[in-house]
Amino acid sequence: MSLYQILFYVFASVAVLAAIRVVTVKNPVHAALYLVLTFFSTALIWILMEAEFLGIVLLLVYVGAVMVLFLFVVMMLDVNIAPLREGFIRNLPVGVFVALVMIIELALILGPASFGLDIYPSPEPAPADAGNTLAIGQVLYTKFVYPFEIAAFILLVAIVAAIALAHRRRPGVHYQDIDAQVRVRAEDRVRIAELDADKTRRGDVAGDSKANQDKETS
Amino acid sequence: MEKVYLAVVLAPLIASIIAGLFGRQIGRSGAHWVTIIGVAIALAASLYAFYMHVFGGLSTFDGTVYTWIASDLFEFNIGFLVDNLTVMMMVVVTAVSLMVHIYTIGYMHDDPGYQRFFSYISLFTFSMLMLVMSNNLLQLFFGWEAVGLVSYLLIGFWYKRESAIFANLKAFLVNRVGDFGFLLGIAAILAYTDSLHYATVFERLPELADITVEYWPGVEWSLISVIAILLFIGAMGKSAQVPLHVWLPDSMEGPTPISALIHAATMVTAGIFMVARFSPLFELSDAALSFILVIGAVTAIFMGLLGIVQHDIKRVIAYSTLSQLGFMTAALGVSAYSPALFHLMTHAFFKALLFLAAGSVIIALHHEQDMRKMGGLAKKLPITFATFFIGALALIGFPGTSGFYSKESVIYAVAASELPGAEFAYWALFIGVFVTAFYTFRMLFLVFFGESRMDAHTASHAKESPKVVTVPLVLLAVPSLIIGFLVVEPMLFGAYFDDSIRVLATHGAMATLEDQFKGAWGMFLYGWTTPVVWMALAGVAGAAIMYLGMPNVLPPLFARVFAWPKRILEEGYGFDSFNNTVIAGGSRLLGRGLWQGADLRAIDGWLVNGTAAFVGYMARTWRLIQTGYLYHYAFVMILGLIGLMTWIVFIGA
Amino acid sequence: MTLASLNLQPVLPEIVLAAMACLILLVDPFLPKRGPTVSFVLSILTLIALFVITLVQMDDSVRMSFGDMVVNDPMADLMKLVVYVLVAAVFVISRTYLRQRGIDKGEYYMLGLFGVLGMMITISSNHLLLLYLGLELMSLALYAMTAFKRDDGRASEAAMKYFVLGALASGILLYGMSLLYGVTGNLMLTAIAETVAAGEDSMALKAAVVLIVVGAVFKMGIAPFHMWLPDVYEGAPTAVTLYLAAAPKVAALALVMRLLVDGMGPLFYDWQPMLIVVAMLSMAIGNVVAIAQTSFKRMLTYSTIGHVGFILLGVLAGTNEGYAAALFYTIAYAVMTIGGFGIILLLARQGFEAESMDDLKGLNDRSPVMAFVFLLLMFSMAGIPFTFGFWAKLAVLQSIVGVGLWWLATFAVVTAVIGAFYYLRAVKMVYFDKPEDTSPIQADVNVRGVLILSGASMLIFGLYPTGLTALTAGAFGL
Repeated sequence: MSLYQILFYVFASVAVLAAIRVVTVKNPVHAALYLVLTFFSTALIWILMEAEFLGIVLLLVYVGAVMVLFLFVVMMLDVNIAPLREGFIRNLPVGVFVALVMIIELALILGPASFGLDIYPSPEPAPADAGNTLAIGQVLYTKFVYPFEIAAFILLVAIVAAIALAHRRRPGVHYQDIDAQVRVRAEDRVRIAELDADKTRRGDVAGDSKANQDKETS
Repeated sequence: MEKVYLAVVLAPLIASIIAGLFGRQIGRSGAHWVTIIGVAIALAASLYAFYMHVFGGLSTFDGTVYTWIASDLFEFNIGFLVDNLTVMMMVVVTAVSLMVHIYTIGYMHDDPGYQRFFSYISLFTFSMLMLVMSNNLLQLFFGWEAVGLVSYLLIGFWYKRESAIFANLKAFLVNRVGDFGFLLGIAAILAYTDSLHYATVFERLPELADITVEYWPGVEWSLISVIAILLFIGAMGKSAQVPLHVWLPDSMEGPTPISALIHAATMVTAGIFMVARFSPLFELSDAALSFILVIGAVTAIFMGLLGIVQHDIKRVIAYSTLSQLGFMTAALGVSAYSPALFHLMTHAFFKALLFLAAGSVIIALHHEQDMRKMGGLAKKLPITFATFFIGALALIGFPGTSGFYSKESVIYAVAASELPGAEFAYWALFIGVFVTAFYTFRMLFLVFFGESRMDAHTASHAKESPKVVTVPLVLLAVPSLIIGFLVVEPMLFGAYFDDSIRVLATHGAMATLEDQFKGAWGMFLYGWTTPVVWMALAGVAGAAIMYLGMPNVLPPLFARVFAWPKRILEEGYGFDSFNNTVIAGGSRLLGRGLWQGADLRAIDGWLVNGTAAFVGYMARTWRLIQTGYLYHYAFVMILGLIGLMTWIVFIGA
Repeated sequence: MTLASLNLQPVLPEIVLAAMACLILLVDPFLPKRGPTVSFVLSILTLIALFVITLVQMDDSVRMSFGDMVVNDPMADLMKLVVYVLVAAVFVISRTYLRQRGIDKGEYYMLGLFGVLGMMITISSNHLLLLYLGLELMSLALYAMTAFKRDDGRASEAAMKYFVLGALASGILLYGMSLLYGVTGNLMLTAIAETVAAGEDSMALKAAVVLIVVGAVFKMGIAPFHMWLPDVYEGAPTAVTLYLAAAPKVAALALVMRLLVDGMGPLFYDWQPMLIVVAMLSMAIGNVVAIAQTSFKRMLTYSTIGHVGFILLGVLAGTNEGYAAALFYTIAYAVMTIGGFGIILLLARQGFEAESMDDLKGLNDRSPVMAFVFLLLMFSMAGIPFTFGFWAKLAVLQSIVGVGLWWLATFAVVTAVIGAFYYLRAVKMVYFDKPEDTSPIQADVNVRGVLILSGASMLIFGLYPTGLTALTAGAFGL
């Protein structure tokens, strides 16, 4: 067994074990951290397969950005994990059974019978000067320019969706409107009210003062 | 000629549609004018066709007007078959119909349903013509059902009367029984010959002669016999033969012109006509002919007996019609088709005459039909009496009248036959002659002679009917008297029916008759010496003694002595009670059983509601899968995926 | 590779749409706050323009571009035309509803247009990657639209379910695609078909088929991958439900057609039995469970499940007649479903959602015209002769009978008969029950117009189906 293979199995087992821990640990922060570990191991496997660029991107994007975001959310929301874990034990046997069936089937399908080295011989190692980035770049803007643009649109839609769903203009929140402040005129601010001594007209006065208040807040 | 035939059929139809749909616009006189003109056109065209065929040497017309359905296997056409038989029927139908149309103006004068009535009778004329002119079984069946429908509508014409509704329902149901057999017969013909066209069917008959069918294991029937008997069952319904006769007396609930036209002269003879038309088929089955003979004879004698005990003038004539239809049927049974048709024709005239004359009496007495409240009307209604008397003479077969020639021929044909049952039939008809004469003259004497039994008011108003009523009577009286003398020779023993009717040599009744025939005059003279005529005269004499001689002594005495037979006759041999209790009651019981047990419980409860309940149960259960929990949904998806994966990849489709 | 060699002309509709969507995105924030009338009008104009462009470009040839990644065949053109019409109709009918609920924002139209872009890409892709991206673009827009009424708990829950299950399905689809790529070494669908036809039927290939079928039929809402559908359709604002239920089904059919027929046609005998099972399950579950529903909206979603089962029958026939029938059925379904959910919009008003079956009661007393439209729609959905839906069902059944699947056709008819029950029950409620709410219908001319058009098309295509039959048949070279 070459070093290459030893490294692969180490990284692979770490990835699988960490993934299992993601769903079994109680603390969501720990779960997120295990997910980081999974991504990390996966990135390493990619690097082993000479996909250095993708490995690094995985680290940067998922570990560096997405997972940090996850952690923020988990910490801010302070999710009470207990109710979510109810039924975990109860449903475990069924889940494990289904998972086992799935694993066995996939193992049979993906096993050496279908994807063995005799059918798919391992490719020649790339020469040392072959750049990952260069290779991706070359196809990304030529052959795959159309899918690439579409991917961009997917991101755009994600942004639009996020803003449409998250951005809200809440009424009743006080904030400074510089435009309005600059445009202000004296007659808008002060109104000389003629007040009668007669009590029967109090309703009017009250109404006026209310109207004034409305003007100020707006 | 096709245009002439079409005119015959379409003129009454168009008139009927106009009178029916635009009755309000054209008014009463418009309605009777348009229909009378329509029927008059039909009569004129029929007479022209008659002339062309009988004297003009025109050969048989058998043509298609248009094709209704055509498929690989068969073709359904609307077409005409016009030969001597058809033209005779056309003339009879349109002539009687025209008389009835004119008569109706007087009879229905005050009825609110005037236009409707004219529309119906014109429609009837159209249907009857379609029936007789058809060249195929499908159109025959159409006409058959159409006349049945109009009959139904007209029996229940006064639809507010409970008894009229009961009568028309009864007529409809009893006819369904007959039509069921008829339809089966038609279906059998179609199944075995692949055609409904008469000529084609007849051509293929020899192929069918040897076929036997086995409905019960071990019992083999000749196919021809089965078809013939099935068709005859249809005729039994329409022509009111025992035991399907029960609807005809009740049909007298309809207005009298209808009784004359439909229930005496034309529609009820459709069965006779059909059997005659299918003579090539019936000839091939002695079994069927025997069956027909016996049924006819039984009807002739036993229905006649019922006429003796009736009090309603129309019912007497109705039973008389039944009896005479029995005579015709018996004649068919001995292969004497031409006497049967001859009697059909003469009967159409004199029976229509009798009905219309009775109607005239009824008008005069303000719709009183009970003979016990009549009497002594001869002086008050001279024309009615005279024509009625002529009709009665024809009916009893008084020598020289049309009825004499036709009825004599029928009886001699039966006498000459060697078919099983002919002996019985002869005696039945022989006694039937006496019975006919007895009830006919009983009626005559009760109505026109003796002392008046009316109340004073009715008596003072009783006067002769208007011209529209009496003129048709006179016009019908003429053929009732003389037509027999004129046509007996060509029709029975000439070549008149040669193209239409086929008689096998083995059925020799007609041949025997022909040998003895000595001309119309000779027959008239010979008639005085025959027992048949003396039987008739004896009947007249009997009636005279009882109802003229000692009307207050003898009838009550006989009623007391023959209380039991009288009771049986008054009950109509119990056919009605049997039908009502056993058949109708049984059907209702069966119906309720099926409704409660089969329909409500098994079908509704089990199949229909059961299915629905099952689906509903499934719906409620499957709905529970939709829990709303995301992880359940995902789990179902994964299960589906694994299921499919296991099946497709590891088990293999 | 130069720009000219890219052959941009076939993707002109996509480019125009993307540009217009971005334009609306930029214009919308600077518009008066009263309502996105300008965005709405621009969206409709865009769709009209797209319709014209596609119509002009349409011919019988197959036009490839972007190195054979994009394919514009008659099927794609027809599907795109249908999508434009459907989405325009949905935009028009939804306006009032959105305004009354305070969600009449430009983003609705933008997301709607991006969704259309995703559908168009899916419809004309000949490449696994493109197919997937198009699908995701569409789905992402749909997820966001589902949650559009963000203060509504039901809508948020629906969006959440849709998103998670959609992601799961996408994952399954992607897995299948990667297996397919692994086995064939190709992403181009036509090339995959050639490789598959030449090679032998391996286990991995079968697994790929299973995964792809599951992923693809999820988007159609086929049982047992339908679980998201009732919750999402019911939870989403009705205007969004309309959008979800109509046009994306056309794209989903395209997805199935591209993947199974174009890409894995040689594996027909692997995917046909699978489709038979899921189609039967769909028709049974859809039509049976619909009976137990008290919510009209939910009943319609179950009816959708039944309908997509029928659509799948056409696909699994494996003949061009079958594909044409499936497309015909899809068009019929989409038009019917706009009418069906449109009725909910018709009955709804400010602060009131008319989603219950009881709200239908006595519609005839309130508006005979709309009641008649409703009757036509329900008859058509039930497949009563001489409506649009009848010919759709007939075409599909003919196609499967044509390949000898008598028993399947019988089963389909039985489920359709069961289905007829609840459609007719709804009609009965409209005509024979006393209304619980006798106030007059408030819906404006937009809603009424689209509904009448929808109802009329049930009758028009019911009496003269030949034109559309010829179009759908032409899309498959018949």
